[in-house]
This record gives sequence, C-alpha cells and structure tokens, in this order.
Amino acid sequence: MFASVTSATVVGVEPRPVRVEVSLANAQRETFTIVGLPDTAVREARERVRAAITATGLRFHRGKVTVNLAPADVPKAGSAYDLPIALGVAAALGEAPRSCREVVALGELALDGTVRSARGALAAGIVARQRGQRCLLGVSALAEGALSGAEVIGVDSLAQAIAVVAGTDPGTTDLAPAPSPQDPAVDLASVRGQEVARRAVEVAAAGGHHLLLSGAPGSGKTMLARALAGVLPNLTEPEALDVAQAHAAAGRPPFLDARPPFRSPHHTATPAAIIGGGSGMPVPGELTLADRGVLFLDELAEFPPYLLDTLRQPIEEGAVHVARKGASVSFPCRVQVVAATNPCPCGFHGDSRSPCRCAPAAVGRYRARLSGPLVDRFDLRVPVHRVAPAELLGPGGEATASVRERVEAARRRQIDRGVLNRALDRDALDALPWDPDAHRLATRAIERFDLTARGWDRVRRVARTIADLAGDDSANADHMAEALGLRGAV
Amino acid sequence: MSRDDRLRLAFVGLHPARHRDLVARHRTAGAVLEAIRAGGVDGVPPAIVRAPSECLAAVEEAGAETVFLGDGGYPAWLAGIGDPPDVLFVRGRLPDRMGVGVVGTRRCTGYGRALATGYGRAIAAAGWALVSGLARGIDATAQRAAVEAGGSSVAVLGCGVDIVYPRENADLTTAILDGGGAVISEYPPGAHPLGWRFPPRNRIISGLSAAVVVVESAVRGGALVTAARAAEQGRAVFAVPGDVGRPASVGCNLLIRDGAGPVLDPADLVEALSLVLGPPAAAPVTATAEQPEMFAQTGVPVDEFGAALGLHGSELLALLGRLELEGKVRREGDLVMPAFEGGR
Repeated sequence: MFASVTSATVVGVEPRPVRVEVSLANAQRETFTIVGLPDTAVREARERVRAAITATGLRFHRGKVTVNLAPADVPKAGSAYDLPIALGVAAALGEAPRSCREVVALGELALDGTVRSARGALAAGIVARQRGQRCLLGVSALAEGALSGAEVIGVDSLAQAIAVVAGTDPGTTDLAPAPSPQDPAVDLASVRGQEVARRAVEVAAAGGHHLLLSGAPGSGKTMLARALAGVLPNLTEPEALDVAQAHAAAGRPPFLDARPPFRSPHHTATPAAIIGGGSGMPVPGELTLADRGVLFLDELAEFPPYLLDTLRQPIEEGAVHVARKGASVSFPCRVQVVAATNPCPCGFHGDSRSPCRCAPAAVGRYRARLSGPLVDRFDLRVPVHRVAPAELLGPGGEATASVRERVEAARRRQIDRGVLNRALDRDALDALPWDPDAHRLATRAIERFDLTARGWDRVRRVARTIADLAGDDSANADHMAEALGLRGAV
Repeated sequence: MSRDDRLRLAFVGLHPARHRDLVARHRTAGAVLEAIRAGGVDGVPPAIVRAPSECLAAVEEAGAETVFLGDGGYPAWLAGIGDPPDVLFVRGRLPDRMGVGVVGTRRCTGYGRALATGYGRAIAAAGWALVSGLARGIDATAQRAAVEAGGSSVAVLGCGVDIVYPRENADLTTAILDGGGAVISEYPPGAHPLGWRFPPRNRIISGLSAAVVVVESAVRGGALVTAARAAEQGRAVFAVPGDVGRPASVGCNLLIRDGAGPVLDPADLVEALSLVLGPPAAAPVTATAEQPEMFAQTGVPVDEFGAALGLHGSELLALLGRLELEGKVRREGDLVMPAFEGGR
C-alpha cells in the first residue's frame, strides 16, 4: 500500500517541492520510520501523526510504516511535514482519497488532530502555483501562502483536510489581512536645502550607484538614505515575491510590497546576522533581506573592517554563498548600498557652524578606516551639512514622485544597454560614446585632481548616469562637469 | 663646570625647569650628576647617567653639534632670556641674528594655511629667519612657505633633533637644512616627543625671535604659550585678527585685546619689524596685490553659494565641477572656498 502527497521546503531562499511518500507493509512489530534527511522535529512527526490520526477516529496501520521525503539529499527541518505525512498515511490506508497527491500540504499537527500553521507557507504556495495545484495550509498561515498567488485553502483539522481533498468541504478561503509592510520612505520634498545631496540621491538611484554620505550628526544622512529608497522604481511582481521569499526564509512574516526594501543593520550586528548563516541550515541575513532594495550602513567607520571586506564580493556579485554544516547555499543580495559616516570622530570636521574638536591625527586615522575594498565601490561620496534654520523654514524640494519618473526613465535606458551603470567596468566605459568636449574636460580633471584609474572610472560611471537622466545617448562636457562636482570633498 | 658634565646632564633629559632648579641647588652640573648617581634625586634612576663618550657618540650619530650657553656660537638674544637652555643640540646652522616667530594652531583652517603661507613668504623675502615649532598646521605651513621662497628657517623641536615629529614633515626637515636653516632642540638626541616637552620649547622659539606672530589660534593652545613667553622676554607679539566668534581666531583676537599688535597684512609686519631687524632685503609684496583671495571669504556652504548664483542641483554641481577644475574654488566638507595658492 502506497500513497504520496506534495509539500515544500526552502533551499537558500528558493522553494523546492518535497514529495512525501508513504509505504505500508505487513510486519509483526509496529514500526514508523521517516527517511530523507529529517531533523529531530521532522522525526518527532511520528508521534504527532499517530496521535492525530487516532484522535480523528481513523485506524492506524498495525505494521511497518515508512515515510520518505524526496529528494532524499535535501535536509528537511521543522514540523511542517506533519499534515502531508498524516494525509499520506491515511490515503495509503484508504481512509483518505487517492487525490491527496494532487494537493500541496503543509502544517503542524496537534495531538488532537488540529492543524497549526508552520513555517514555509509561502514556499508551499509557490510550489503549488508552479504545479497548478491547490495548497492546504493552517488557517493562520493562509495570508502568507496567498502571497504566492496560488489557490490556498485553510484547514482547521486533519479531518477537514481529508474532507477538502474528498471535495465534501470547501475549507476556509477568507484571507486574514496581510501583515503590513515596512515603514514608508521619506519623501524628497521634505528634505530642505541639501542641493548637492538631493541631486546625489537622484543620480545614485538612477544608476544604482553605491552612495556614501558624510556629514555631522543631525545633518539628515538617514533621512536621505530613506529618501533614496523612495525614488527607486517600483518592484515588479516577481521581484516583490523574491523579497517576500527572503523574509520568509529568514523566519520573518513575509509581505508583498511594490516598494524596494530598506534594511539598516546596526554596526554591532554579528557577521551571521548581516551576511547570513547560523548553525545547521543557513538562514539569510540583512544583506539578503535588502535584496532588490537598499542596504543602509549607518556609521560605516564603526563596522568591523573585516565585515566590510567580506561584504564586497557578495555586493558585487549579487549573491552570497554561505557554507555551514547543514548545507552550502547561495542567497541573493542584489543590493544598492548607502552608507553614512561622520567626517571625523566628533563629527564636525568641515562643518560651517561648529568647530571640529578632534586632534588632526585622529581625523586622519578615522578617515583611514573609510578606505578599503568596499568603500572603493562607492561611486558617489557626498558631503551632507546641517541645514541652517532659514532653510528649515524655506520651501521643500522636488517631490519623490517626479524624481522617480526620471529615475525610471534613466533605468530603462540602462536596461536597454544591458546593465545598470553601477556595473559598468573599464572596457564597457571605454566603449560608450563620449563627446570630444567631455574627453577634453576629463583629461584636465585627471591631471588637476590627480585621479587614479579607479577614480576616473567612477567619474565616468556617474557622468553616464547623468546623461541617462538627461536622456542623452552620448555623455557631454556638462555631464562630466557635474560628475566632477559630485566628487565633492568627503 | 665641565662641558662633559653639562652634556651628560643634558642627556639625562630632565624637564627644563627641574634642570635649572637642580643646577641652582647643587651649584654645578657635576654635583647634580653626583646627586643623581647617589640616588638623591627623586624619580631619576642613577643608571640614567651616561658616559661622556656615549653622549658624544650619540650627538655625532644624530648629525648634530652641541652649543653651550656662554659659547661664542650661542645666540646672545637667547642667552638673555630668563631661563635659556644650558645646551642646544643643533643640526644645520644657527642664524646670526634674531628671526621672526610664526606660530599657530595645529587644527588650522584653509584660511589659516593661506595666511601662514603669506607670512612665511614675506619673512623669507625680507631675508629674516622664520622660527617655528615644525608642528602640523600653521607652524609647518609657514616654515614650508619660507623655505620654498628661498628663505631660512629654524625649527625648535620638542624631541631629539634626530627624531622627525610629526613624521609627515620629514621632507620639510630636509628642506630646512638644505636651505641653510637649523633644526634645534634642548633635548638630547633620542628624546621622544612627549607631551610635557613641548610647552618649555616655546620659550626658545620666542627667545630666538625679535617678534612672534600668531596666525590662528583657538582659545587655548601652544601658540598662546609662545606669545606669553615672548611678552615675558620683551619680544613684540603680533596677532592676525579674525571674525569675532570664529573659533580658530578667538586666541588671536584675545591677544589683540590684551595688547598684541594686530597685523592685517605681511607688509604691516615687515614694516614694523624693519625698525628692529633692519631694512628688509626686498620690499614686501602686499597680500592684497598678490593674493586678493586671501582676504576674501573663509568659505560658504554649498547651498548658499548656489542660492547666491540662483543655481540648483544639476547646474550648481556642473559649475562647481568646472570651477574646481580651473583651480578657482576648493571644497572642504560642505564649504566652497577660494582655492588658495599654496594651500595644502
């Protein structure tokens, strides 16, 4: 006697179908075995499943029960396989219809047969949608599963689950309100003054450039970072689902939001919390929660240098590889980094209103911390100043909505060319069209500012984005001059 | 008092005030050394006293010479201050007449650096030696300007003459020596730049100078110590005034309130000093003619700069990029300021 039910697991952040196969055989002794790399919680499903089936009033097999979770080489964790295992056992005994194999089920069982929600509802929903099947979940996990767009049905108990499969009970399809998404972004219109920083935010958003904001405490660096997240284009539905999956994989309530995520890990966070990791099965970190959005590193100089060094490669590659005892997985991290720093330990170096109280050598040491492979990737480094009282009362600037339109248009131009300007390397930059005037200006700039080859590439990437914002195919001298102006003096 | 004993006592590296007290109490350097060897001087281990040959070897290794108080080569105007050092360690050549001290804060602004450059050049052009402390900021900027203008300069250190501190001034030290100037100290070769060694050396800066100019100084700082010593020694004290309330100029403004001579231009200084030091070798160039921007603004916030021109965002940044490229402006943090020639 044999039956199978589909369920789901997550590898990295990717949902994968799991086939729960149940085989019954005659034997003198009663045994119940689960194979297919189960962890302790999965192995304990035996006791819950046996009690739930009995409590539901069904008979249990008096012989050998073998459950295989395929594919057998992917580790399975948690209590989410209780419901599919119980359905499989019931189906194999003829207590539930054979059509069990046409649903995706996921949920934990109480000893009295009640279905509780378990982690992985979104993954189950995605698997169900891919297979065009219905998805059976605990009622409270319904909203999460529904994010996938699959047909999700909530069940209270094992008995109801069997009835839904048999077609005699519709189950619950009323969705609880989805968990609310993150804090709203700051509208650029509420940023006063800050001509340079506002433009830098627009350019950074348009080209996907990593941005370093430097300024005194209270100059609004965090506000500008949030404003940048606000001018990024809306996510497409698959992109928003990627974000939801990352949250679900990290054990957070997922949500579907068209706005790109904004994550701001504290500098005291552990490397595992930022990069991903944990014991056993790796869990995504802040880097992956910020996938397709903004990773904001406040007080950049306070982050441990080795952590910043570790971040460089994943950020460049858009994926982070984490190897742990449990498994080795890749998490996506297509993030735009915005970092903020004080210009010196006291924070007032270069401020027009308060004097810097640091020893000159201390300023140098502090700045030395702001170099290294990661900071090298910041195309834009912009000073931010504290707003004068007069400016606070003055008019705000252009609103986020109209800036976002320009950003979207500029991004479309880049996507037509192939990649975001952030990712342009030296050869790609050389191959782009530049006005002869732009080149003349550039030659002087290299001499005057003593630009390194890397610094020069940065200026060109930014100039290219400025041209995209202006809608020009070829970057001209004005674009180049503005890019030089944005070099600022951090 | 034997020269060997005096040299050996200098090598003990005592605080100058303690050095003087001990010599006054024991009458001779030899007697002080005896007391130290007998363990009779608190906090000074007997083993610290070195053999004369060792001291001489250290001096030679540092490329220095020793000049004793009372020697012909010892500057008479320095000997005349109340508390002259007994021994000077000298690399290079001591000036044969009084110089001009230029001092100021280590935490100087771009404006202060431009001023220091102007005074450094003017003093060099007048043919006078510029005396200062080789510290970061105003000191080093003025000395560099003087040396680059072909003048001579004396650096009075708070450590041994064989130690370059701060290290970034290694090239400046070489330039001073190549330019016929001197690097001197009352501390023996090998003495580290410890905090307590700096205030006493300021009396040597003022002692070697006919006048001391304080270019930029906050409300406290070594430059004000130098000015106070100068006043005690009967030297002229000048200060460059700044905006009231401007933190980097508060010290200067206080000096002026307390009687220091205000100087608005290097030419003022040269004219005033020519009465003491004799006519300058060359007529001073007035800063207003040569460097009009020196007395222009001390920098304006970027937004104000843009608002004044009616420019925003993109256009403002393009203009800034071009102006910077043409060397007309410089940006420091959020400030836009004139790009001073010689500003570093």
